[in-house]
Amino acid sequence: MIISDIMLGPWVEKYRPQTLDDVVGQTHIVSRLKQYVEEGSMPNLMFTGPAGVGKTTSALALVKAILGEYWRQNFLELNASDARGIETVRTNIKNFCRLKPVGAPFRIIFLDEVDNMTKDAQHALRREMEMYTKTASFILSCNYSSKIIDPIQSRCAIFRFTPIKGEEIANRLKYIAEAEGCQYEDEAINTIVNFAEGDMRKSVNMLQSAASTGSITEDHVFEVVSKAKPQEIKKMVNAALMGDFMKSRDILREVMILQGTSGEDMVNQIYQDVSGRVMQGKMDGEVYMNLIGAIAETDFRIREGANPRIQLEALLAKFL
Amino acid sequence: MLWTDKYRPKRFEDVAGNVKQKKIIESWVEEWKNNNPQPPLLLVGPAGTGKTTIAHIIADEFSEYIELNASDKRSYDLLMSTIGESANTYSLFGNNRKLIIMDEVDGIHGTNDRGGTKALNKIIKESKQPIVMMANDLYSNKLTTIKKNVQVIKMDKIKSPSINKYLRDVVLKNEGIDVDKEVLMKLSKRSSGDLRSAINTLQALVENGGELTEEALESTSQKDNTSTIFDTVTRVLKSTNPEHVKRSMFENTEDPTLVMEYIAENIPREYEKNKEIKKAYEMISQADLYFGRTRSSQYYGYWKYASDFMGVGVSSSKKETYRKYSKIISPMSFSLMGRTRGKRAMRDAIALKMEEKMHVSLQLAYTIFPYFEIMFENDETAWEISDFLELEDDEIKFFRKKKIPKGVITKMEKIKAEMREEEKEEWRNKIKDGIFREIPPQDSENEEENVNFDSDIVEESSPHNATVVDIFDDFSDEELDEIASELSTDGKSKTKLRNDSKSKKEKDEEKLDKGQTTLFSF
Repeated sequence: MIISDIMLGPWVEKYRPQTLDDVVGQTHIVSRLKQYVEEGSMPNLMFTGPAGVGKTTSALALVKAILGEYWRQNFLELNASDARGIETVRTNIKNFCRLKPVGAPFRIIFLDEVDNMTKDAQHALRREMEMYTKTASFILSCNYSSKIIDPIQSRCAIFRFTPIKGEEIANRLKYIAEAEGCQYEDEAINTIVNFAEGDMRKSVNMLQSAASTGSITEDHVFEVVSKAKPQEIKKMVNAALMGDFMKSRDILREVMILQGTSGEDMVNQIYQDVSGRVMQGKMDGEVYMNLIGAIAETDFRIREGANPRIQLEALLAKFL
Repeated sequence: MLWTDKYRPKRFEDVAGNVKQKKIIESWVEEWKNNNPQPPLLLVGPAGTGKTTIAHIIADEFSEYIELNASDKRSYDLLMSTIGESANTYSLFGNNRKLIIMDEVDGIHGTNDRGGTKALNKIIKESKQPIVMMANDLYSNKLTTIKKNVQVIKMDKIKSPSINKYLRDVVLKNEGIDVDKEVLMKLSKRSSGDLRSAINTLQALVENGGELTEEALESTSQKDNTSTIFDTVTRVLKSTNPEHVKRSMFENTEDPTLVMEYIAENIPREYEKNKEIKKAYEMISQADLYFGRTRSSQYYGYWKYASDFMGVGVSSSKKETYRKYSKIISPMSFSLMGRTRGKRAMRDAIALKMEEKMHVSLQLAYTIFPYFEIMFENDETAWEISDFLELEDDEIKFFRKKKIPKGVITKMEKIKAEMREEEKEEWRNKIKDGIFREIPPQDSENEEENVNFDSDIVEESSPHNATVVDIFDDFSDEELDEIASELSTDGKSKTKLRNDSKSKKEKDEEKLDKGQTTLFSF
């Protein structure tokens, strides 16, 4: 690995823990994974949990530890969610599994975002998993295990990753800031921790964003938070609350189509915006709860497999 | 002004199509004028075949007329007090008759029009006045009793040459507009016998200097069955009759999720009260939910619910029909996708680079963009990240408007080169310490499947540890970097060795290698 590339890369990569010992939080999971390393074998694994809590990091660290120095030759990382279709995924897996492990006891396939695969694709994946049990182990990663078909779940040891504790995030951020030779305010770190909700990737990105504006102060962190939060969301919610549905709908479409924001993220951001209004005393409790009811239902419907954009348009109509 | 009103014919001979039917109607009028009462007329036929137009021409022949529409409330009392009375009284002016026009009589239904059909039948039987009724569906069971006592005129769809002629010789000639003849013919054909929709489409496209092109025509409608999707959407938004809406949904052959997009797009364009938009969109949401459930369960029985939600559900969300002409717009999100294709392609290209180097999905990559925008305000960080992701100049512009200053680039490149140099020194030491090892030979059982890998290469090319260092020293710094970066690429293992340092045999064997395996590993 060329250190100098990483040394100048984004901090999320530069400070990604390389060994299981360095993984932040998830102690129970990590100790179990270490046992696999000791035994030199592992079952198929499924890592579930929200974004930025160490699923990929743990998987990479495990792979390096268990496959040893030839891990790169015996490791395949694939993202299942992208619009490349299950066929591409299957072809990749097939080509990879056809070759027997080289210099390692077995091969590992890391498949990210399996919950975004259709049920059909998941059944196909299940067959691939069956077919190559002798040569390859799978690590599947997803946000919601409920979206994974039972036959896959039953073939995996399931590990539930939880949001990283605030204190652990704070310590890591301080470590990074010190390693970078950046001055920081404790309040700034605390503010990041508050906004990041247990998401380490988000925390580190916020830290680097604040640092890039000059120094890691609380003010800079707030600036980052407000800049990174798209202004469009506020405008969109405003328009709907003011009764201008067409305008609100136009903004929604721009954000989703142009910026590629996912339905889940949109729901979350709308929730944040509305809840911010009540926190600032700008909204009546009853009105608030009506909106929350609508937001919650939309969240649910999107996860039920409905079309996120249509559902969000309907949500905005409920704000009228 | 709507061209359908502006160019509505005033005389029977100007009405397009339905030649036989016109003759019968004309003589019906003549008989009335000669004081020879005739049974009521029932004009039945699809939309845009001239029913309303003919009714108005008939009305002009009589001195007075009253008109009732499907969207008016037609309860028993209402019908009796308006029609019942005038049907039995002569006009004050001598023999002049008072014509009664009733539109959409097959729309009388259920609770709202309690007793409506009964009243209508009574009027038909007892009326001494001329009555003209209109309906879309000859086979509606609302019409079974009515049909016995009236003269049914079946209006045929208008043939496309007649539509074409009308558009050309009446509408366009008067407007003084020239259009491409072939595209006009296409438009006429696609209106599938509905002159009203043909005129509306034409007006939407060419009024105010628009040009009638194939593309424009495509944009208002989809292929050959577009008239159906536009008809369906119009019906859902305009009608208050669940039976008509259901039928229209049923007859539609387009992908139902597309129809849903069309309906959703046009809800706020047609409905004016926020309460109605809210209600209608909740129906769309429900419909969409059932499409989602169909997808995940593969149970297509859910479709019918989706169809009812977006059809009758949306239709009944309004209190009453809006009396206005609304142009049905194709979903804006589709055209937004088209317009932004270039920008989105670049966005995705960047996200793909992030996916590869930062182990994130595209979706996750997008969420990092706002942070990058902030980080890119800092010249040095901008350089670092662009360098790490190997962003092109125009991709850098995605995050910051200004170019990264030359001075910063030179400075950062120098820093990186120095770091490289240090690292390389470490490397050399490591290699001398013998960290550079060869890959162990393959298991023999692998051979049949693993055609790409030839273990001979390994033995041939790095037989002695001593020569490894020699080979390494042969490389220039640049090549060293290249090898190092090849080796360090996550998940992928490619190794290029300098060909001229190898025998011909090795070269041949290397071709078999195809980059599938690596010679060195560490």
